Amino acid sequence: MSRLSFKGGIHPLKEIHEGKEATKAKPIRALVPEEVCIPVDMHLGAPSIPCVKKGDLVKMGQVIAEPAGPRGIPVHASVSGEVTAVVPKQQLHGKPSTCICIRNDKQDTWVERHQLGSVETAPADKIVTAIRNAGICGMGGACFPTHAKMALPEGKTVDTIILNGSECETFITADHRLMLEQPERVVDGLRASMRAMGVLKGVIAIEENKLDAYEAIKKAAAGREGVSVALLKTKYPQGGEKQLIQAVTGREVPSGGLPMDAHVVVLNVATAAAITDAVTEGKPLIDRVTTVTGIVNEPSNLLVRIGTPVSEVTAACGGTTEEPGKMFFGGSMTGLALPDDTVSVTKANNCLVVVNKKDAVLQETSACIRCSRCIAACPIMLNPQRLNVLCEAGDLAQAKKENMMDCILCHSCHYVCPARIKFPFKEAKEKIAARRI
Amino acid sequence: MNTTAILSAVAVLGGLGVLFGLVLTFADKAFAVPVDERYARVREVVAGANCGACGYAGCDAYAAAVVTGEASITACTPGGQKTFDALAEIMGENAVAVAPEVAKLLCQGEDGVVKSRYDYQGTPSCHEATQLAGGPTACAWGCVGYGDCVKACQFDAMKIENGIVFIDENKCTACQLCVPECPRSLIKMLPRAAKVTVRCLNAANAKDAMAACSKACIACKRCEKACEYDAIHVIGNCAVIDPEKCTLCGECVKVCPTKCITQQA
Repeated sequence: MSRLSFKGGIHPLKEIHEGKEATKAKPIRALVPEEVCIPVDMHLGAPSIPCVKKGDLVKMGQVIAEPAGPRGIPVHASVSGEVTAVVPKQQLHGKPSTCICIRNDKQDTWVERHQLGSVETAPADKIVTAIRNAGICGMGGACFPTHAKMALPEGKTVDTIILNGSECETFITADHRLMLEQPERVVDGLRASMRAMGVLKGVIAIEENKLDAYEAIKKAAAGREGVSVALLKTKYPQGGEKQLIQAVTGREVPSGGLPMDAHVVVLNVATAAAITDAVTEGKPLIDRVTTVTGIVNEPSNLLVRIGTPVSEVTAACGGTTEEPGKMFFGGSMTGLALPDDTVSVTKANNCLVVVNKKDAVLQETSACIRCSRCIAACPIMLNPQRLNVLCEAGDLAQAKKENMMDCILCHSCHYVCPARIKFPFKEAKEKIAARRI
Repeated sequence: MNTTAILSAVAVLGGLGVLFGLVLTFADKAFAVPVDERYARVREVVAGANCGACGYAGCDAYAAAVVTGEASITACTPGGQKTFDALAEIMGENAVAVAPEVAKLLCQGEDGVVKSRYDYQGTPSCHEATQLAGGPTACAWGCVGYGDCVKACQFDAMKIENGIVFIDENKCTACQLCVPECPRSLIKMLPRAAKVTVRCLNAANAKDAMAACSKACIACKRCEKACEYDAIHVIGNCAVIDPEKCTLCGECVKVCPTKCITQQA
């Protein structure tokens, strides 16, 4: 069987099967939270504007924050109950975000929903609006509004939609379980997106460490118009948009370009499943599958309502076996550490990892020995050791000339570095963008 | 011993040396490129640190720009008043008196003074640290102490002490290279004469400010009442001094309950 891939990259945590063993066989189970705190700025772009106030009674799926601007998306109540507060609360990024807190009455009273019918018969021109109204954004991590991704600017064409089921990051099994348990939802979502964009070819790409999911999807996709399934090599960052396009289509996204420049749109499999719900049931995006693993008593794949605080998530997994040293959302390569356990689960959080105090300690950084392992690992053929020197010296103009802005922040260079250098590329990219160097 | 061989070698090499010397002397005179004679003098009086504070690529570029009249004669802040005067004389302009400035850190949140929210382990940079969940310090306005400004300082005037930046005012040349580096805009250029400074930017209300840091401005306005010269005002939950009105009497320093106003000797 041929396995598609790209040049460069690494295989992180190979010795423990990418850390996925603990949860890959655990079926998805639902978590009913006591209270949710839903941030209004989960997606990329301007934060939505809250349209409820303290004391209001809201139904499940009701719009609680209106979109700001054409790229914005609404935010929906993920439980029914009373709004207890609309307050700024510190989340993962920068300054505190406005959060709408709702106490769950556990009645799950739904707001009136408008479905479009089956994904094959729904009017194609209404699907994108339905996606926007359902508040769907990229659930692989970036949370870019999906309707904005589907609205192509003048002169751009797309001939392929790729569903990203590679899940190359360590520890995460949320997409794996979703594809295994609900393959029809994933395939239906792809069909709906293909019809909405008028695209004839759809590919679902899955890494070979999820052969059971591959078989399930293949079965569900059999006989569906234009849908094929591709098997990828287990490698990181296989799920990076540009790497995935290269692996599946052989096309390269030009420097500084977007996937549409290679005539491709990439969606996450979880996003596709949410699209199916939006079209066939009129159900907005109010929950998602999140893997909870690490030193919790019962590592699980949970169906978590958006806005559930992390403390409730860990409690639902039986608490921790010892005192936690660090928690992070996402896998170990690109995950973001949490400041405390009051942070809410958002549309982007596919995984929560809890590690103990011993594992939370970072190794000391020493001097670069010019071994060039980072160069071999870089999936976009940059020269990380050279860029590191330039960033340290503050020569961002030269770093930009040497393609700093093409870095996808996959941290493969950091992973392979024997000197454990913390490459400051995120900072460099942000500074170059902010100062227009 | 063959003395002739030695003598002839010396004569040939010496002769060649004299010949090339003459050629070079001639070339130097005949092909000389005319340079503004002021350039060399300007280059002499600028600070010569190649820091880039003037906005040019280095001292050579700045000197060239001064000679053509393109650059201001007060741009070389590391040189200070002495350089401004000398440049004014060379360029035949009127001397300008510029009040000397110094960089000041508007924060006293040392270890133990400000509370910590979490243990940051990422890339050791203020920019990165403040991106993660609002930064590791309990005060969202305070110095995080990873030294982005220290890296930018070309004059060895900054260092990290007790978790915040310490600026050596004797070494600071007011080049301002550190100012844009601070993600929380804590470094301000203030006149050297302004010895009384509110060293806090915390704009939270008193309760939150006190909960985060024991040296935070709590906007109690006692300084405002103590000041006889209308020089200090609480603006947006934080006191601000107008250096033009301040007489350095030190009354505000005495009444400040959290000691966030400091007076230097």
